[in-house]
Formats: sequence, structure tokens, C-alpha cells
Amino acid sequence: MAVITTKSVTKVYNSDKVPVHALRGVDLNIEKGEFTAIVGPSGSGKTTLLNIIGGLDTPTEGKTIVQGTDLSTLSDSELINFRLHHIGFVFQAYNLIPVLTAVENVSFVMQMQGRPNKECHNKSISLLKEVGLEDKINKRPSELSGGQQQRVAVARALASKPDFVLADEPTANLDSVSSGELLDMMAELNQKEEMTFIFSTHDQRVIDRAHRVVTLVDGKIDNDEVRAQTV
Amino acid sequence: MISKIISLGWKNVWRNPTRSGVVIIAVLLGTWAGIFTAGFFNGMVQDSLDNQIELSVGHIQIEHPKFQDLYNPKYAISNSDKLIQSLGNKPYIENILAKSVATGLAQSPKNSFGVTINGINPQADSSLAVTQYIKEGNLPDRSSRNAILIGNKLAERLDLDLTSRMVLSFQDIDGEITGAAFKVAGIFNTFSDTYNENTVFVLQDDLNRLLGNSDLIHNIRIDTDELAMAENYAENLRAEYPNLKIKTWREIAPDLRYMFDMMDLMLYIVMIIIIIGLVFSIINTMLMAVLERTRELGMLRAIGMNKARTFSMVMWETGFLTLVGAPVGLLLAWLSISYFGNTGINLSAFAEGFGAYGISTIIYPELTWQYYLNIMLMIAGAAFISALYPAWKTLSLNPVEAIRKFN
Repeated sequence: MAVITTKSVTKVYNSDKVPVHALRGVDLNIEKGEFTAIVGPSGSGKTTLLNIIGGLDTPTEGKTIVQGTDLSTLSDSELINFRLHHIGFVFQAYNLIPVLTAVENVSFVMQMQGRPNKECHNKSISLLKEVGLEDKINKRPSELSGGQQQRVAVARALASKPDFVLADEPTANLDSVSSGELLDMMAELNQKEEMTFIFSTHDQRVIDRAHRVVTLVDGKIDNDEVRAQTV
Repeated sequence: MISKIISLGWKNVWRNPTRSGVVIIAVLLGTWAGIFTAGFFNGMVQDSLDNQIELSVGHIQIEHPKFQDLYNPKYAISNSDKLIQSLGNKPYIENILAKSVATGLAQSPKNSFGVTINGINPQADSSLAVTQYIKEGNLPDRSSRNAILIGNKLAERLDLDLTSRMVLSFQDIDGEITGAAFKVAGIFNTFSDTYNENTVFVLQDDLNRLLGNSDLIHNIRIDTDELAMAENYAENLRAEYPNLKIKTWREIAPDLRYMFDMMDLMLYIVMIIIIIGLVFSIINTMLMAVLERTRELGMLRAIGMNKARTFSMVMWETGFLTLVGAPVGLLLAWLSISYFGNTGINLSAFAEGFGAYGISTIIYPELTWQYYLNIMLMIAGAAFISALYPAWKTLSLNPVEAIRKFN
């Protein structure tokens, strides 16, 4: 069964009374364990599609089904709860909480899920080890490089044991070395833990590493290329 | 999770230490200044009140029910000796002053003026407050007949000095005009010009002889162990002596009561003005703090932090911002009031102006614990009100827009 299914998803923004069609009937199935890049020129609808899949935005028409749940049937608070338990987010600008340390940032999501403090702490340390930051657990975001911050963001995204991770241009603010390391790490998590990753990106390095590349042009899927067998 | 939200709220306060520090110090100083000012003015009014009550009003007064209307001397308290003896046995009564009273005309060769004549018994009433204000001479005593103690203003008006003679004319108990010549034995100068002008003291024996009955007592003044309890004590006495008019200082001197009540109100008004200023400062700071964290708050909503948690996080943050400074301000105010309450604040430079209102040159700030409690509640309420708007702003955040705005 597909982890994510979008059926004829359309999104129209009414900007200055002129309707802007961000998505025009997108049909997409993403299976468990996929390492998918959604690419396309600026304004093609990549981020909008990611937001709709992540339950952050609602489609004007069509349906988004995540793990068998039609997101349009959920109330605002149910949607927040759904995101908390089923979806991991990695943002372009890292978006860590600056007053918390790396381990606290990772723990925070689990604490919101209501898991015991000790479990949160141990799991956070183990996730930070997994992303190669075992020696930075007590550092605050301001004491970490961009690449390190994005690793913490990945660890945070994984902390809630999500069904999949959505990453909106995760390498956009990173240098080539940090980007490479981050991609290696996510590819490893994809291989080892069968974690589903969906990226929106312009970055050719990400596109080169993706197993499936979905190209959006003017809000429509222009090309859907599967390059390698996922785990 | 609530502990984590509280902890995050606390850490957020220190995200911008300078900005938070300014607000915390403003709250601290506002609280301190407001309470200390209240303590200062309360001490000043209390001092004035105490002085006026001590000099002329007392806590409770007992009279014949009809005496007050026309000060007719025939309306004296009957069986006053027994009454005084009975009052003396009550544990809450600390001091009793019984006097005969007449209203009449004081005359000198130069001028005349209406006065209230108090017939006192200096031996029995050793605590007579006017004694401390005598500037020349002494209280009238039995060594000389028809001695009189007058105020400096009356002395000026009638052009009298020590040992001068003057005539008092008044109505006796039969309604006949009577009078006698009196020799000035002393001159007092209290804080009240009115009192200094229209109040004189003679020996009770001398006054009563002229009034026509040696046992006359028209007014019994009582000082209790606690001014605040005067109303309760008076109520007991009214039940015990239903045929007598028993009044508390609040009825006898409504101007003092008004001053006292107004002061209480003023203390709160001062504090409310300070708190309103602080509320706007806190709202401004918290709005800045929330608006500059739009992306972060959007991210928190995106990853699953619900509205109630983001709302409560900002509420806690605002609460901390206010409630860090307020207790320190309260403590400082308490320490300042306690310190100056003992040493006093010397305002002798303004002594003349204050004296007219019965205020001493040294002010001893004081404030009751209820006031501290009320201020704490008011500040907590202000913190809550200040927190509502910034916290409400987070509810209207759309995570997509919040994240996109800064990406």
C-alpha cells in the first residue's frame, strides 16, 4: 500500500484577485522506503505539493491520503496531532529552537507526543549519534554549523517515528561538503531503516542521489522517473 | 509536557537578555516605586490622622444625645462617675478623658471671638494631648482660680500674652448668661490654626461652678487599643448604653474619614497607573518577541505543537517576564518601607507647610500586609492581561505562511 497518495490535487491561490494555479490535478503515489526528489523550476508547485502532503496546507480540489487517512476529513487539531505522530519535517532554514540544545530540540517532539522523559533523552542521544553528532548533544544551534544544524533537524524529524520525512530544500543553505554528508546520512537512514524521504529541491546533488525524481512544471507532473530500486 | 512548555517559556525570556532585562527592571522599579510611594503617603496621612485624632477627636466620644445640637450645657451625661468607672474596667479602653464643655465668647479689651471652652481636670487627665503643644506657661492648675490655656492664634486675635486677663461669657444650665475673668496661664500652638483660635481650656471646677453644677460632664473621650476596631467597640458600647450618643472618629470628623478613605483610593490609583504603563510595555515587548519568532512558532505548529501549547508557552513567557521583577520590587519596597518606617524620612525643609495639616516633619512610611497582597494580585492580573494579546496572536499563525515568510 502507498504511504502517500494524492488524487487530482489542485491548489489555487487567490492573490490580488487573480487566481494563481499552484497545482493542477496532481496524482502521485509514494511507496514506503522511497527516496524521492520533487524537482522543477521556481513556481512549479514543489513546496505547495510538499505542504499539502504534510497536512500544512489544504488542496482546493482533490484528496491527499496518508497511510489510509484522508487528510481533508481531519479537523485542525486532528491534523496537528496527525503531523506530530506521522510526519517528520526538515526545513530549508533548519528551524531549530535556538534556546534549546541539540538533544533538547530532538527530545521536544517526543515530549509533545507524551513519551517519558528518560525515553526521550535516550532516544535523542541515539538519534544524534546516528546523524554523527554524539559530541554536540549539549550544543545550542548557534554553536553548530549549518550542516550540523540540519543534521539535528533530521534527527528531530526522525524522533517522532514518522511514516515519512518531508524535506523542503534541505541543502539549499549548505555548502557542498555539508550537503554531501547530509545526503549520505539520509540515504543511509533510508537504506537501514527503510525511512521514506521526499525532498523538494533544485540541488543537482540531491537529484543525483534520488531513486525517484518527480518533475513538476506549472503545477503538473511533467515527468516521473524511477532510477533505482528502493529497499 | 507542561513542565517542558514552562521551561521553554523561561528560556525564551532570556533569548534577548537586554530587552527582557529592561522590562524586568521596569517592572521591578515600577513595583518598588509604586509601593514605596504608597507607603510614604500612607505614613504621612496616617501621621496626620493620628495627630488630629490624638489632639482633638479621640477614637470614640460619648455625649448626651441632645448635647451635640446646641451645646446646651444642661444636657450633661448623667451618672458620669459610674460610667467612667465602668468604662475604665473595659480591657480595650486605654485612656478616658472626661470634660465639661461650653461655647461662648472670649473677650479682651481689644477684640472678641467665639470659642469652645473645655473644662478639664489636669490631675485626672494626665494624658491630655494639648500639653505637648504648650509653648508658654502651663496647664491651668488649682493654685490659681480661673486660669486659662489658650491658643496662639486666639492670643494674637485678642492681643493677649501670658498673665493677661480676658473674659469668657457663656450660657449656664438655666439658660442665663454667665461669665468670668480668666488669667492666661499658658499658650499652646498646635498644627491646626483653627484649633489654636477657637479652643480654650479651663479647670473643670471653674467652668462647672459658672455653669451652675459642679458634677457636669458633657463629653467623654475614649482612646482604644486599636483605632481600626473603634467601630466594633462603639457598637458594643451602644448596646450597653442605649441612652447615650456614642460616636466614632469617623462620625465626629468626617473630613478625616474622607481623607483616610481617599488616601486608600489614591494609593490604588497610583499603583494602577504604574501597572497600566507596565502592561503596555510588556505587551509591546512580548509582541516584538512573538512577531520576530513567527517562523519558529510556525515551525512548532508544523511539527505538531498544538494551539493550546503555543498559547500557553507565550502566556508563561509573559508571566515570567512580569513575575521575575515584581517579587523583587515587592521585597525592595518592603525593605525600604521597613527601614524608613524605623528611621523616618526627614522633611524638615517643608515643615511649615506640613504642619498646617498636622503632618510631622519626619515621615514614617507604613503599609499593611493586605496592601502588599493586593498589589501582588494586581500585578499577577496585569501579567495575565498583558499575556493575552501576544498569546492570541500565535493562534492566528498559519504555519505555511509563517515558515514561507522567512524562508
